[in-house]
Amino acid sequence: MAQQNVGKLNEKPKVVRAKGGSIGRVDIPFLMLVLILVVFGLIMVASSSYVYGYYEYGDSYYYIKRQLIFAAVGIVVMFAMAFFDYHRLRKYAFPLLCISVVLLILVLIPGIGKTVGDARRWLDFGIRFQPSEIGKFAIIISFASYISANYKNMNKFKVGVLPLIIMLGTVVGLVAVETHLSGAIVIMAIGVIMMFVGGVQMRYFVGAIGIGSLGLAVIVLFTDYMQMRIKTWLDPFENISGSGYQLVQSLYAIGSGGLLGLGLGQSRQKHLYLPEAETDYIFSITAEELGFIGALFLILLFVMLVWRGFYIALNARDKFGSMLVVGIIARVGVQTILNIGVVTNALPSTGITLPFFSCGGTALLMLLFEMGVVLSVSRFSYIDKS
Amino acid sequence: MAKTPTKKMKNRSIIVMGLFSVAVCVIIGYLVYYQIINYDVYQSKAIAQQTMNTTINANRGTITDCNGVELAVSSSVKTVYISPNDIDDEAQARDIALNLSEILGVDYDTVYEKTQKNNYYEIVKRKIESDVVDQVRQYISESKVSGIHLIDDTKRYYPYNNLASHVLGFVGTDNVGLDGIELVYNSYLQGTNGKLITAKNNAGSELPVEYETYVPAKDGNDIKLTIDTTIQYYLEKHIEQAREDYKCLNGAAGIIIDVNTGGILGITSKPDYDLNNYQQITDSLLLQELELFESGGAQEQEEQDGGTNEDGEDSQEQDSSMTPSEKKTELTNLMRRNKLIVDTYEPGSTFKILTASMAVEENLISDSDSFYCPGYYVVGNRRISCWKHGGHGSQNFAQAIQNSCNPAFMMIGAKIGNTTFKSYFENFGLTEKTGVDLVGEASGIFHSDSSFNEVELATASFGQRFKITPIQMITAVAAVANGGSLITPHIVKEITSTDENGKTTVVKSIDSGVKRQVISKETSEKMCALLADVVTFGSGKNAYVKGYRVAGKTGTSEKLATESSTGEEEYIASFIGFAPADDPQIAILVMLDEPNGSEYFGGLTAAPTAGKILADVLPYLEITPQYTEEELETLDTSVPAVSGLSTDEAIAAIKDSGLSYKIIGGEGTVEYQIPKSATSIPRTGTVVLYTNGKEPSATITVPDITQMSVAGAQKMITNYGLNLRTVGNESTKSTALITSQEPAAGTVVEAGTVVTAYYKNYNDVAN
Repeated sequence: MAQQNVGKLNEKPKVVRAKGGSIGRVDIPFLMLVLILVVFGLIMVASSSYVYGYYEYGDSYYYIKRQLIFAAVGIVVMFAMAFFDYHRLRKYAFPLLCISVVLLILVLIPGIGKTVGDARRWLDFGIRFQPSEIGKFAIIISFASYISANYKNMNKFKVGVLPLIIMLGTVVGLVAVETHLSGAIVIMAIGVIMMFVGGVQMRYFVGAIGIGSLGLAVIVLFTDYMQMRIKTWLDPFENISGSGYQLVQSLYAIGSGGLLGLGLGQSRQKHLYLPEAETDYIFSITAEELGFIGALFLILLFVMLVWRGFYIALNARDKFGSMLVVGIIARVGVQTILNIGVVTNALPSTGITLPFFSCGGTALLMLLFEMGVVLSVSRFSYIDKS
Repeated sequence: MAKTPTKKMKNRSIIVMGLFSVAVCVIIGYLVYYQIINYDVYQSKAIAQQTMNTTINANRGTITDCNGVELAVSSSVKTVYISPNDIDDEAQARDIALNLSEILGVDYDTVYEKTQKNNYYEIVKRKIESDVVDQVRQYISESKVSGIHLIDDTKRYYPYNNLASHVLGFVGTDNVGLDGIELVYNSYLQGTNGKLITAKNNAGSELPVEYETYVPAKDGNDIKLTIDTTIQYYLEKHIEQAREDYKCLNGAAGIIIDVNTGGILGITSKPDYDLNNYQQITDSLLLQELELFESGGAQEQEEQDGGTNEDGEDSQEQDSSMTPSEKKTELTNLMRRNKLIVDTYEPGSTFKILTASMAVEENLISDSDSFYCPGYYVVGNRRISCWKHGGHGSQNFAQAIQNSCNPAFMMIGAKIGNTTFKSYFENFGLTEKTGVDLVGEASGIFHSDSSFNEVELATASFGQRFKITPIQMITAVAAVANGGSLITPHIVKEITSTDENGKTTVVKSIDSGVKRQVISKETSEKMCALLADVVTFGSGKNAYVKGYRVAGKTGTSEKLATESSTGEEEYIASFIGFAPADDPQIAILVMLDEPNGSEYFGGLTAAPTAGKILADVLPYLEITPQYTEEELETLDTSVPAVSGLSTDEAIAAIKDSGLSYKIIGGEGTVEYQIPKSATSIPRTGTVVLYTNGKEPSATITVPDITQMSVAGAQKMITNYGLNLRTVGNESTKSTALITSQEPAAGTVVEAGTVVTAYYKNYNDVAN
């Protein structure tokens, strides 16, 4: 396989040069998966937000209209990014990291950061977005840049581990201070996965897992908030009308779906029973309407996307591209697993959105931008793209 | 080459993908658990919270009289409820409270409190009529407030208010019968509620129709009563009148039954109540009593307040006295009582019908038997008086019944003997409930075998010292009248159900239900003749009805001081009878409880009341009157047209109609006649003819004829240029006194107007 790749490597650059900076087609299977997920996601947003849109804004199409606009813009951005040479991103890596740190600090300042629920996690500069989303991408691009540049020295603590931990620690720490726990977990997971794939020695991970588990145990034991979450996780039906309410409603939705589902648009739980039906809990509505079959299909789409993503990563032209894709795919994979894990009560609850599905304009825009990056990388890779 | 991903990256990527795969497998496992293995658990819980079960009220069956006149019907109404959680804000809550309280007539604070609750269902007012519903709808649409809802409900409506109130009963707010037919036949009337299961959202609103399940309601059965509204009306009118006339402190009651089927044609117990307003006292006499009590109670209170300082006993007295609310409860209970069913009484002399029947059936009496009454009778070591102090002297069996002579009946009772008496008593159904389909039938009390000695037999023979219910008494008398069959009295004739297509099927039909033969047909016929004479000549003479032979017996029984409402000895005056005597169709019982006017004997109170009722009811039942010669003379006839005729021709025409004449002005042409032609006047009346320029005086002032004899009144009225119509027992007219007249004395009327005189016979009726 390595030999084959090498062979292809020798061919392709000529084409690139012949076309002046652009070297080939995007990966069609990946693009198709992305488009299918976007369309599927839009359909589910339309269905799940129908009732809430009506009750909150008097317009059943309130959410889907906005989501459609962002999806359209996002697809344009994705294609633009696909034809943008990803190598040029490298020079933005550290400035972006710095900007994201600044934004993450800004969001903490009362009056600037917007509070939703318990967490102060939104910024509004004409357009509303979460700095943690920027932070996420900043980590991906910074890690990719750093790891690819220092790949040979990744086994050394001072070079291979410490700077990465400082970068990750800063961003995760700031996000955690927002009490945006889910965001912190996702960024942490992305960083750890990139470090792992990037070649950091195994013993650090063993140590990290040890320290992490210990830390988690301490947090769980000494904070009421976490203990309640764990308790709810173990028995959501104990407090149906209180802390367990949303989870129970989610399980009602998923269970109601059965094997074949109630039919597209036929969810009953979206009729104001399940809060956040169009965002964090959109998978539950999908499972209710399309049943086990539909839910499985959704999961398989993600599995294929992740698989194809890794395939692109491992066949990338260079380590920077490879690590970029690993980071982006890790983010999609981790969020998907955490989101579905939470709504099926496999994991304690935390607010993580489902990529492509959860309603949220800027998040979708960011995601599609990242998909554009993957496609850009794929253009430089040596794989069969049909 | 060095730039491309390394083998190590590849391996580690595979590890990451492996971890992802494990996670995905776990998640799929969870989905299998929730969606395939246990889906029904979650689905049913979800459906339970998502659906709304709306009850569709079954229409309650209609109650009609025997001719189909509707006595109890259900109509569609609405119940207003609010969903406090749907109310937007405080201002809206206040607006809703203000407007709803005004429209619905509910207290503002009550409505406001409901708007502050944390739920979706607070009933503001039940069962509102369509005009109020329209006002509520208008308010909702104009003000655009949210959270006010109207749901279907039904309301029971009784078109005749008080009519047959004890029979019909009423329903509670949940449409379940609480009294009367509504209670006894609730399971038939109620029907089965249907339901509409609709999906709802978490705010309680309905979702589109595709989730609906509809189970139609099954309407209740209709009930046809044996009651005839017209008869019921006549009965109630006269009973109420008697209650007022004779100042019955503890109410009055009456019942008419078909002696052959046991069907109750009319039954009333006064005071009664308005079925459409069953919690309120509406009876004017009861209201007076309550008012009197409240004002008197207040005075008493003041007196006691003043006296408390002097001695402490007053506070004890206060405890034993009734509060106004207790008094109200007592009166409410009184108005709800159907005395004929739930009360027991001593039947008194009316029971002599049964004693006589036993003696006749047992062949113990021959026509030549003589019963001597010195005014008392000694039995054992007891001397028991007759109601007539001087005694009745020597009398035969028929006379003994007409006289209602107690000593004679004690002798007859002794002839019957304890064992036979008791066995007939049981056979007449007096020791068992009649089984009438009305609420709360009481049981009587009779002597145990060991205590039933000769003294008790003697008193029992004339109906004292034991207690039965009036319904038992009339059932037993119906057996005497109908040829000897004891029947089950009943109020429901037929229960029918009507399906969606309007097809009616009979669910249950109730006919005579003969229990047993108590006496023979011959005995029955003999008793009919004997009892008819009681009304024609004897103590029941005031129950006489012109054109009909009424049979019956009066009674005046004593009530112990401990049992009466006044705490003193009181009476129950009653009359029990049947008609026509030669072919009995209906039996009637009139019972006046504690009459406190100047007259209280059954023969003077209950008997004339029964007579008035029968005078209305018998013609209504289209029973052909058979007039005696005496009666024919007093019947009305139409005055012939004689103006313009010669006096001779006029005299001939007047004689033809059986009327008398009087000429003013001598022979010639009749210029005026009084009364005018075609006026209906009694045959005893006179037509005055005016000739030769004589003119009648335009108006006449009616004289007072009360307390006069009939003959005297006839003379006086004729002299005044008026005509007299008499109402009362023709056979005993000569000894009667006029008790009331119509029009009243002093009324100015046209010449020739008929004055009606009601007369009563006071001789030998004090029983």
